Amino acid sequence: MSESIIFYVLALFLIGGASGMITARRTIFSAASFMLAMIALAGMFALLNQSFLFLAQLLVAVGAIITLSMLVIVSVNISERYIPKEPHLGRDLLLGVVIAAPIVALIITALRTHFAASFAPIPDTFGTLASIGATLFASWVLPFELISLLLLAALIGAVVISRKGERS
Amino acid sequence: MSPLHFLLLGTLLFGIGLVGVIARRNLFVVYMSIELMLSAVNLLLATFSRIRGDEGGAVLSLLLIAVIAAEAAIFLAMIIALFRAKRSIDAHDFTQLSQEHNA
Amino acid sequence: MSLALLILLPFGSSLLLGMLYLFTSLRSERLYALIGVGAPLLISLIALWLGYGQLQGAESLHVSLFTWLSIDALRIEFALSFDHLSAVMMAFVSVIGTLIHLFAVGYMRGDAGFGKFFAYFNFFMGAMALLVLADNPIILFIGWELVGLASYLLIGFYHRESANVTAANKAFIANRVGDFGFIMALVLLFGAVGEGGFSFSAIEAQIYSVDHALLSLIGVLLFVGAMGKSAQIPLYVWLPDAMAGPTPVSALIHAATMVTAGVYMVARFDFLYVLIPAVGLFIAVIGILSALLSALIATMQSDIKKILAYSTMSQLGYMFVAVGLGAYGAGIFHVFTHAFFKALLFMGVGAVIIALHHEQNIFKMGGLRRFMPLVFYPMLIATLALSGVAPFAGFFSKDAILAAAVASEYPLFGVLGLVVAFLTAYYMMRLLLLVFVAPAKHRHTSLHVSPYLSLPLLPLALGSAVAGFWGMGGAYGGGDALTHFLSLSDYAHHLTHKSEYLLALLSNLIAFAGFALAYRRFASGAREPQPTALFERWILERFYVDALYHALLVVPLRRISLWCERIVDDRFVDGTLGLFSGGYRTLATHFSTLQNGNVRHYALYFLSGVSLLSLLLLWRL
Repeated sequence: MSESIIFYVLALFLIGGASGMITARRTIFSAASFMLAMIALAGMFALLNQSFLFLAQLLVAVGAIITLSMLVIVSVNISERYIPKEPHLGRDLLLGVVIAAPIVALIITALRTHFAASFAPIPDTFGTLASIGATLFASWVLPFELISLLLLAALIGAVVISRKGERS
Repeated sequence: MSPLHFLLLGTLLFGIGLVGVIARRNLFVVYMSIELMLSAVNLLLATFSRIRGDEGGAVLSLLLIAVIAAEAAIFLAMIIALFRAKRSIDAHDFTQLSQEHNA
Repeated sequence: MSLALLILLPFGSSLLLGMLYLFTSLRSERLYALIGVGAPLLISLIALWLGYGQLQGAESLHVSLFTWLSIDALRIEFALSFDHLSAVMMAFVSVIGTLIHLFAVGYMRGDAGFGKFFAYFNFFMGAMALLVLADNPIILFIGWELVGLASYLLIGFYHRESANVTAANKAFIANRVGDFGFIMALVLLFGAVGEGGFSFSAIEAQIYSVDHALLSLIGVLLFVGAMGKSAQIPLYVWLPDAMAGPTPVSALIHAATMVTAGVYMVARFDFLYVLIPAVGLFIAVIGILSALLSALIATMQSDIKKILAYSTMSQLGYMFVAVGLGAYGAGIFHVFTHAFFKALLFMGVGAVIIALHHEQNIFKMGGLRRFMPLVFYPMLIATLALSGVAPFAGFFSKDAILAAAVASEYPLFGVLGLVVAFLTAYYMMRLLLLVFVAPAKHRHTSLHVSPYLSLPLLPLALGSAVAGFWGMGGAYGGGDALTHFLSLSDYAHHLTHKSEYLLALLSNLIAFAGFALAYRRFASGAREPQPTALFERWILERFYVDALYHALLVVPLRRISLWCERIVDDRFVDGTLGLFSGGYRTLATHFSTLQNGNVRHYALYFLSGVSLLSLLLLWRL
């Protein structure tokens, strides 16, 4: 029962944050709403017994990525005149909803028909750091190494791209 | 609490991200919408993992967080570069893919 | 073999001349003239030799060169035959043709297209020889078409003037209308008797098995072909315009070759027409109407060549009266004699025209007798012969026709024939007087006539004078030798000798009456006629037949064409095409605004597609 209440509260935050993010005219408000949604998402992970994911989401997504984004937003110091005017925002959002609705409907239909309606029984250790670590290094070593390569490439790429813009 | 609730929520988040990508011109918001969509997928993966009792889904979700981080690094670098080039973060100002604007 | 030579020689020389003219820079008129006249000369010799053999009672010759077509029952031999009818036709066609060639050497001297002209001319001879010698209707039709082609080429010889080209087109088109009838007739005929062979003799053998109504239809359709080729009502309109060609061409068309083809064809199908006298009557009616109409028109013309053109048409009318009433021998007899004096007249006129530097209006001539006696006297003989004055050639043949007409069940033909004879005498004497006798209207004091132009007239004058004796009827001590030689299936009645004398006397009197009237009106010169009476204007305007054709055929056709051009072509065809191209352009413009380089829009299109696909899947699931 309490889980249900937590779920709905978190869902409210998630959807509210996401909606606020795409509707806010000021960039910094968007970023703040987005951070709210990301934190609520971490809560959702906790509800799903994914304790390690909960931690990772909080540390990486919220602590690193969102913070970095806000840092960038603040550091480029965008004043009012650089923010796009977007005079038809309402109309555009409506268009977006119209286009997205069938896609969402299709995904929901697919998920409803192909997945069980209840959770499987799980051991107590499910989702803990030790358990995830064992799985990761037992059967996911190669993807894990590839991800490290990807991160390295992204690191170098980010440096190159931002320096290129500096020179011009 | 049935898994369906989580699945519905994840899909809804994905849809909201989609709407943001379609409707917004602010590059930051577009970027965050993409992040939102990735995170929605993340939520779905975590739910699948929980439904099946298989930790592989959680691992995949973890790797996805790393991908999100990499994407964030690149995207932010690009925004900075674009802003420096045109003094703008409006998606409509960047139309160099079309022929007439190349010249 | 010699039969094949009759065909091959003219075609071969035509080809040779054409090659020389097209592919070499040789422009020696001597060479061209040597080849161009040599070929017809050779074929006349061969034709006369073969014809002499026929006269001596030799078997008629048949040569099958090769099988031209062999499709199931349709088996067409490329076969030639040389019987009595072909012999007569071939003899005068080749001999007179040769003389006209000789005349053309003088007439065309100095013309840039000298070689081309003789190439066409020999081609014309070859086509005519093929027509005359054909052993089956298909080969005859080929010759028939080639004659049409040759006449087209020659009428439009001076093709730099558009009027000549129009005249050539007119001749060709009018002939095509006739050819349509001809080919329809051939199709029907083949359908009826084609199984058992299609040569003339084979058709003759089977002709009795054909249904009478079908036979009549075939007869009428064949005659439609003859109408076109021989310039009878209503397809005669091309003949006067055909005068646009050089004068030797007119001579060749009118005397020896083309226009006689229709009469020849009817005579060739005598076995068919014998069975359908009603159609024969129709032919005779058309013939006499053509004769009357064209004789009337000729009395009012002032162009010297057009007078002769209408005269030809009128004489052809006579011939059709003869063959229509079953007097095939008389018809061919008139073809034969007519060839001499009509060729002579045209060549004489050609000499006059050359001498007067292409002046063709008889009211601007006069007094030429002094300058060119060698032209005048032959033409006088020809005029007398054409008017049917005894004992010149035309008298006997015309008399044979008139006798057949009077003796037939419809003596009205005879009466109208006499009227035409009167008109003929009148307009011919009018021409002769105005050109040669009346006070001169021009300033020339000496006129030179090349011997090439005048010498060929002499043998023709001789022919015009004596050719008639061959076919002289029994009443004059002859024995209808030509008619018996031809041995066609005549069914015309004969007059008693007494009434024949009466008829001869009458026709001569009428001819002299015509002369007298012409002499009274034109001997001392006359001004060009200004039509006053309604009837005269009608005649001058050729009874408005050309105008009628114009109003009935040309104008509606042009309207339809214009309508097609404006509505169907512009609106419909071009409109549809324009819709495609314009629509494509508009679409492209719209699509190009879609491709604006804005990545966000691209994402929008892509997502819209995904969205639509999702809708489709949702709907299908």
